[in-house]
Amino acid sequence: MGIRLFKEPELEKPDLICGWPGIGNIGLIAVDTLKGVLKAEELGEIEPWDFFYPKKVSIKNGLLEGLEFPTSKFYYQRLEKRDLIFFIGEEQPTEGERMYATGEKAYQMANLVLDVAERFGCQRVYTSGACVSPIHHTVKPRVVSVVSSEKLVEEVIRYQNTILISEIGGREGEGVITGLNGLLLAVAKKRGLEGICLMGEIPDWLSGSPFPYPKASKSVLEVFADILGIRVDFGFLGKMVAQIEEIVERLYEGFPPEIKERYDERKFVVQAKPRGITEEDAKWIKEHIDEFFKKRGEQGGQSSV
Amino acid sequence: MNFLRKGGNRVDKALFEIYQSPQLRNPSLIVAWQTRDVGKLSVKIIHFLNEKLGGQKIAEIKPSGFFPLGGAAFKDNLLRVPESKFSACQKSDLLIFQSEEPKYEWYNFLNGLLDFAQHYCHIKELYTVSGTVSLTAHTAPRRILAVYNQPEFQKMLQGYGLEDMTWEGPPAISSYLLWLAKRRDIPGISLWPEIPFYLAAGEDPVATKLTLSFLDSRFSLGLDLGELDSDIGNQNEKIAQLREEDAEINEYINRLESGLSLNEEEQVRLARAVYELLKE
Repeated sequence: MGIRLFKEPELEKPDLICGWPGIGNIGLIAVDTLKGVLKAEELGEIEPWDFFYPKKVSIKNGLLEGLEFPTSKFYYQRLEKRDLIFFIGEEQPTEGERMYATGEKAYQMANLVLDVAERFGCQRVYTSGACVSPIHHTVKPRVVSVVSSEKLVEEVIRYQNTILISEIGGREGEGVITGLNGLLLAVAKKRGLEGICLMGEIPDWLSGSPFPYPKASKSVLEVFADILGIRVDFGFLGKMVAQIEEIVERLYEGFPPEIKERYDERKFVVQAKPRGITEEDAKWIKEHIDEFFKKRGEQGGQSSV
Repeated sequence: MNFLRKGGNRVDKALFEIYQSPQLRNPSLIVAWQTRDVGKLSVKIIHFLNEKLGGQKIAEIKPSGFFPLGGAAFKDNLLRVPESKFSACQKSDLLIFQSEEPKYEWYNFLNGLLDFAQHYCHIKELYTVSGTVSLTAHTAPRRILAVYNQPEFQKMLQGYGLEDMTWEGPPAISSYLLWLAKRRDIPGISLWPEIPFYLAAGEDPVATKLTLSFLDSRFSLGLDLGELDSDIGNQNEKIAQLREEDAEINEYINRLESGLSLNEEEQVRLARAVYELLKE
């Protein structure tokens, strides 16, 4: 189980910003886009074999050329205001068949990521993911935050379009940030590091869909740009947002009129608790969405060699 | 931690049950997986080799950590116990490993397998055997597709009638093992004999014989493969009878023999008919 560092740059108290796949790939897209915008350089990687199964084999003219594993890579960049380390994982390590990191392997991964961050003097960790919310899909997603200390509460409420998770109702002040977005911050807190989780809102009925939700990634990215004091060109992300909006609109057009009417109430309400659709409505939407994607997914499986 | 020592290297003893010390010189390792065993090829090959060459069980990898142990699985009224065992064929200097694919921790399982084979038994080469589904007719000659982990080894095995494979996609456990062997500088080959899709759920004695012929020739085993001819004859006869009785099935096989394809529904119908026929 190891870490491979490609270089040892001198960094001054860099912040660590992490992204993993998750609901709508909101955090991953935000962090990966930020890494690209800042032209961050490769710093190192966590060796995959103990965490992941290979995803692809290449065989050419009888010769096994290689196996491809999901990558878990570090990048770095020095900015005027602060230095940054990025960590981007293509998959979350799991035990069993869950989507999100659980168990001993997830804990080991979290520690390895933080080992690298601390080696370069990191004192603050950001993770980013999704916050499933009862919002309308045409509404700009807010960024919902959970932090590791009271001091950070004061800080995050000053960020644009950002709220504390306590401002969203229906949770009675409690909840769990699933997977490594949560676990990493927990381990970071135990090590005495500051932790902030920035979650982009995704409409509840889209949380199980197989496509990304870049609109929320854009909200998260705007907050990061604000924190870092940088300007970001959202051109690429904007195109992606438009493409997904088209799909979402098509799904929405298929809603029965009475559900649509109730759902549309969400456009005009700042959400404090789930409203606008009934449990029955939610059930109808979920079943029909599943059916829609099942049809798309029934294009045959693949064997392995 | 407890380690086995033979030669200079260490093998984590906790992973294994050792029954006897292998009396092998510099063996080749043959690996076969019982999971998704197309045409029951792997089971047949290993059973044949162990029986004819006097294979003795010498060790096994303990299931803990690799297989679910929350109960016991059964199939067709029979309990299925995960077994991952090494057998030694002393005279032929072969080490044979037969197992279900582990459910968890492939990397550790495969490294354990190679640790034992490399450091405790001093293997020189690795051979994996698994059937691959083909759209050919059962009357067509079978091919053995091959994947090597070193070009030198590929060159060495020219002349055995193997065909080079080209493929990209999700890796089977054999490919993972072959890749790990490459990292240890152990020359290896994965043998993928073709099996007509409508024999995949049953048995394919033609592919079994072809693969055994290769192993016989490669390791000078002196195997008598004649007994497989009666299995081949019986199977061909039964399918010929079915073709006479069922014009539709006959037409499907005719089309495959002419190099034409079948649609999915036709494939299923043919596979089901042949499976029902041969299971009797």
